[in-house]
Formats: sequence, C-alpha cells, structure tokens
Amino acid sequence: MNLTDLLKMSLGNLKRRKLRTFLTILGVVIGTASIVVMISLGLGLQQSMYDEVEQSGGLTTLTVSGQTAGEGMAYYYSGSETEESTKYITDDTVKEFSQIPHVKLAAPVYNMSAYLLKGKYTGYLQIVATTREALENMNIELRPGGSLPRENSSTLEFVYGNGLLTQFYEKNSGRGYWETGELPDIDLEHDNMFLILNTTAYDNAQSGQNPSDTESGTGENSQKPQTAKKYVVQASGVVSGDADSYNTHYYNAYCDIETLKTVLKREFAGSAIPGQPVTKTGKPYRFFAYSSATVKVDELDNVEEVSSMLRSMGYNVQSNIEYMESMKSQFAIVQAVLGGIGAVSLLVAAIGIANTMMMSIYERTKEIGVMKVLGCSLKNIRQMFLLEAGFIGFLGGVIGNILSFIISGAVNVVTGTMGSSMGLTSSISYIPFWLVLVSLGFAILVGMAAGYFPARRAMRLSPLAAIRNE
Amino acid sequence: MEHTIEVRNLYKFYRVGDSVVRALNGLNFTIAAGEFCAIVGTSGSGKSTLLNMLAGLEKPTKGEIIISGKHIEKLTEAELVRFRREHVGFIFQSFHLLGTLNALENVALPLSFRGERRASRMKKAEKLLDMVNLGNHKKHLPVQMSGGQQQRVGVARALVTGAEIIFADEPTGNLDSHTSADVMRLMQKVVKEQKRTLVMVTHDEHLASYADRIFHISDGEIVKIEEKEKEDNEGK
Repeated sequence: MNLTDLLKMSLGNLKRRKLRTFLTILGVVIGTASIVVMISLGLGLQQSMYDEVEQSGGLTTLTVSGQTAGEGMAYYYSGSETEESTKYITDDTVKEFSQIPHVKLAAPVYNMSAYLLKGKYTGYLQIVATTREALENMNIELRPGGSLPRENSSTLEFVYGNGLLTQFYEKNSGRGYWETGELPDIDLEHDNMFLILNTTAYDNAQSGQNPSDTESGTGENSQKPQTAKKYVVQASGVVSGDADSYNTHYYNAYCDIETLKTVLKREFAGSAIPGQPVTKTGKPYRFFAYSSATVKVDELDNVEEVSSMLRSMGYNVQSNIEYMESMKSQFAIVQAVLGGIGAVSLLVAAIGIANTMMMSIYERTKEIGVMKVLGCSLKNIRQMFLLEAGFIGFLGGVIGNILSFIISGAVNVVTGTMGSSMGLTSSISYIPFWLVLVSLGFAILVGMAAGYFPARRAMRLSPLAAIRNE
Repeated sequence: MEHTIEVRNLYKFYRVGDSVVRALNGLNFTIAAGEFCAIVGTSGSGKSTLLNMLAGLEKPTKGEIIISGKHIEKLTEAELVRFRREHVGFIFQSFHLLGTLNALENVALPLSFRGERRASRMKKAEKLLDMVNLGNHKKHLPVQMSGGQQQRVGVARALVTGAEIIFADEPTGNLDSHTSADVMRLMQKVVKEQKRTLVMVTHDEHLASYADRIFHISDGEIVKIEEKEKEDNEGK
C-alpha cells in the first residue's frame, strides 16, 4: 500500500468516530498548548533580559573596576583586601586600556549620589559621569529634542532617567511618588534645578547642626563643617519613556565626566572629595580615581581575550556575557520546570491516545482480520494504526499551537500595562518559530509512541477472528 | 491435469481441557485447476478447519498442503499474507466489507494492498462490479446495499486480483434461498468463464450441488467424494 492509500484509510477511520477522535485530539491540544505557553513564558523572560543587555551596551562592553572609588555603590573594605584589586582606575590606566589590542573605546566612569532641589521637592540623584563617546555607545534613547551633555562646559548638564521623578519627595511631608502615587509637578526637560553635591554637609544643615544660610560659598575653614553649594543645573535630554516603563537608565542621571570633575574639585577644594582615596594623613592623591571604566571591544570573539588581559593587569572585569551566561543557566532551569508542567498534560494526552487506539482495535478486530485474509501486509496494518495515532498528534499539535498563540496574545495584552511597570520591557510570552515546529513534532511523536503498542497488537491479531461466524 | 491444491496426510488436533479433539484426521486429496469443489459436512465436522488450513489461516498439526507448488504449512505469517495476496481470493459468510468504503473501493481494496495505482485499480474494480451486475451501486456504502448485493461485491473483491484460487466460507449462509441461488449461479459462471479454482465450504447439500465435485466430510475424515458428470461441460 502506498502512503496516500494508508493515509486515506486512517483518516476514514478517524472520521468514523468523530466524537471520540475529537475528544482525544482535545487532550493533545491542551497538552501542546500548555507546553508551548509555559515555554513561551520562559522565553519571554529571556527575551526581556536580552533587551536589557542590549540597552546597557550589548555584549562587547566590559566594565572594569579597580579599588572602589566614588560613592555610587560605595562600600569600603577596612583591612583584608585579598581579592579586591589594589589598583585605582585613573586617567593613566584608562589610556593604558585603550592601547590594548581589539579595544575600540575605553572611558572612565564615576558614580556618585547627589540631591536635586526644586521648589518643595527634594530628589535623590544617582549620577553616572563618563565621556561623551561612552554615552553614545550606550545607545540611550532620548525624548525628542534631547541631546547628550556637552563636553567640558562650565555648567553641568544632565541626561535624566525617565524614572527620576519617582525619586523626589516633598520636603514637608516627606512623602514621595511611592507613597502618594503622584509624580511631583516638575518638568524634567525644561525646569532649572538646584544640585547639591556635598550631600553630607547638606544633610547636616537640614538636621539643624549648621543653621547658617546655605547660599554661602565653599567652606574655607576645614575645622568648621562645610556648607553645601547649590548649582543650577539643566537637562540636556531625558531618556524616552514615562515613569511606567522601566529600563536600565530609569534612575540614573548622566553627565560629562570632565565637567563634573571640575565642579567637584571646586566644591571640595582643599579637602578630599568624598569617596576619593586618601593618604594615611588624610590628604588626597594627585590623581582622580574613577569608579570604573567602560571598555568596548571590537568583536564578540575578542571579548574573552581582552577581559583576561585586563584581569591579568589586576582589575576586576565584569561583562554582560558573564551576566548572560549565568542568567542563561537560570532560565534553562525555569524553562525546564515550566515545560515539565506542560509535559505532564501531554503525557495524560498520550495515555488518552493509547486508550483510543486500543478501543479502536478491539472494535475493528474483525476488519483487521479481513484485511489480513485479503492480503494486507503486517507492515501496512501497523503503519495504518501508527498513522492514525500520529494524525491525532499532528492535528492536536496544530490546534494546540493556534490556541497557544491566542493565549499568548491574551496574556501579553492583559499584562501589557502591568508588565512594563514590573520591569518587563518586552512581551511576557514569546513564541518563536522553532518552538512551533518542535512542539508540533513532539505532539506527532507522542501520538505515534502512544499508538505504537496498540498498532503492534493490531498487527498480531489473528486473521481467524475475521472468519469466525457469530 | 495440473493439481492446484494437493493435501497429504493432513491432521489437526485441538486440546480441549484434558481431551484431544481430532478436527482433521488424515486427509488426502487433490483439486485440479479450474475445478469448483464443495466441502460439505455438518457443523463440527472439520470442514471450516480444513478451509482455514488451505487458506493458510491455521497451521496443521501434521501433514502437507501444497498450493501452486508451494508448501504453505512451512511459511511464516508474513509469507502467508503475501501468498494470500498473490494467489488467493476469499469470500466470507458475513461479507465483511469495510464500512467506511463504498462498493468500488471495497472491490479495489485487495489491489491497493498490492500497491497498485489508484487509476488502474479503480478501472479493474469497475469492470468487476459491472460483471456482477452492480454497475448502478458503485458509490454505495455497504449499509446502503442488500445482503445479496453485498455478497456480490464480496465476490467481485475475491476475483479482482486475478487470484487463481477462490475460497468461500458459507458464502450464502446469511442470504435467503432465492438470493443464494443467484450468488451460486454467479460463482459457477465466473469459475467456468475465467478458469478459476473455487473451494466452497457449506452445510447445505443443495448448494453443494452447484459444484463439480463434492467432498463429504464427517468427524475429520472424507467419507465420500461425489463427482458430478457435467453434461454441459465439454472441457472437463
């Protein structure tokens, strides 16, 4: 028998028992859909992670850090710095980095925190200062009309993160966005704001230790507590998106590093800038220590080489590749668990197929016998039943995939607004084409596996049953 | 004359509980090509067992069955299936047409087992259906036909492959006497016209009288071979 004949016979048999076929297929539909939807959730998470990595400079960007400097994530080790690098990132080291082969760009990064004042609001600011080149490399998407901060200008300019307003609180009530749910009435793009760099002095002043007017100049006397100077700052741009859409730039404020250095040196003239390394006697070094350096590698293949080179130079290297590798293995587990849940329902469906096929064979004992008497080969009989079972799997797989797309679409629509505020930038459920093919193939395979033993049984039925007359 | 079927010392024992039933007890006979033979006996005489063994559906306990020069008692099941596909047609008591297929497809079914192309097998099936006077029922499903019509489809199905031997197991057992006579005459005509060998099992002496030769079987032994002198058949 050729394939078309076999297929026709199998389909004819399935059509004969429409309700039973439908119910069996329904089992496969539910099984396939649950596997696909579960895996698509895992893939959606993975996809949003990839997007995040893409936002923070892609896979070829390395973050090199030495001994901690700056106050961004400042944590100070007192004694046993065995693993911590002893080298600082300075202008010289950045220059050194840029001469390593395959390095396209090396730029210093300085993190510090500051306050922003506007009317009755005070905002907490996380400053990320770096060069313009490095800012360009970050592919920050700005709201229309915005631009990156000018280099070496006399006044500080910032690119604000789109979630910065959530960091403001009212001075009197002390309540911010997270308590009230209302954003302060500030236009990030156009309003001038006061920047406080010397946060310690400002805090002291606020708590009443130094009730003198805060508008005075820098404290000349090192004995007396310094007063914090206010700088008028303006935005050169704001990251696109509103406070509901999270991204890696959400809380940050970017500025030009040379400008910030100049301002900092003026602000803390005569004493050490907080977070900068000092000698035993408390005097600052002549160099300026950065928090980290951004190193951009030309090709993905060279990332490993460059990062090991940097490590051998005594620096800590962090790349998105490592982050991604560790995330990948985590996602593999998540996907295996989710897929496993779906697989259970497909297993139940497989039992359903086996049951249907057994029933079908008992019913058709006579028919099978007749076919054997008429000369239908054993192979053909087995193929016929395998095809039937496989077709149940195939149809269930197709409908299951269609159902998955509907469910996935519905999930994405429902969580669309909710998801973005939870930090998921892309859709929560993502079904790639390979998943469709794999799930379809799997459904067919499950169907055939479930049909294998019934088919063998059919093949071995005695033809005598056919001619026995009741 | 060439012997299409040759049976030597055929024994078949069944074990029922502690006792052994001798269904066939040493049969010896030959059937020539183009012969219409009837095997007649009461129920339990062993006639059906004999037919099953000739068609290779059951294994003999002892003895030889040579059909078209082949010892079929030595074949495996897969070989038996192929043997039936190529040499044997079968007519059943309860017709056993496939319910999902129409008359034409049912007739063409054995050809599809041989892997014949659809166009050619449909043409052959149509010719056979015309021959059994069912030209108007080609597209009918088995449930839409009477018993007599169904059995004629069954006859067409047995003949369509051009098999040299046709086995019929009580072919008219489920038909009334009038229709039975129709079917018997049809089979008689076909055997004569197409030079096929037909072996029919029946318990009805009257139906057996359509045959050229009648084997009377009782308790697993042939008790009488009745040879009918054909007054109208010159080529005996």
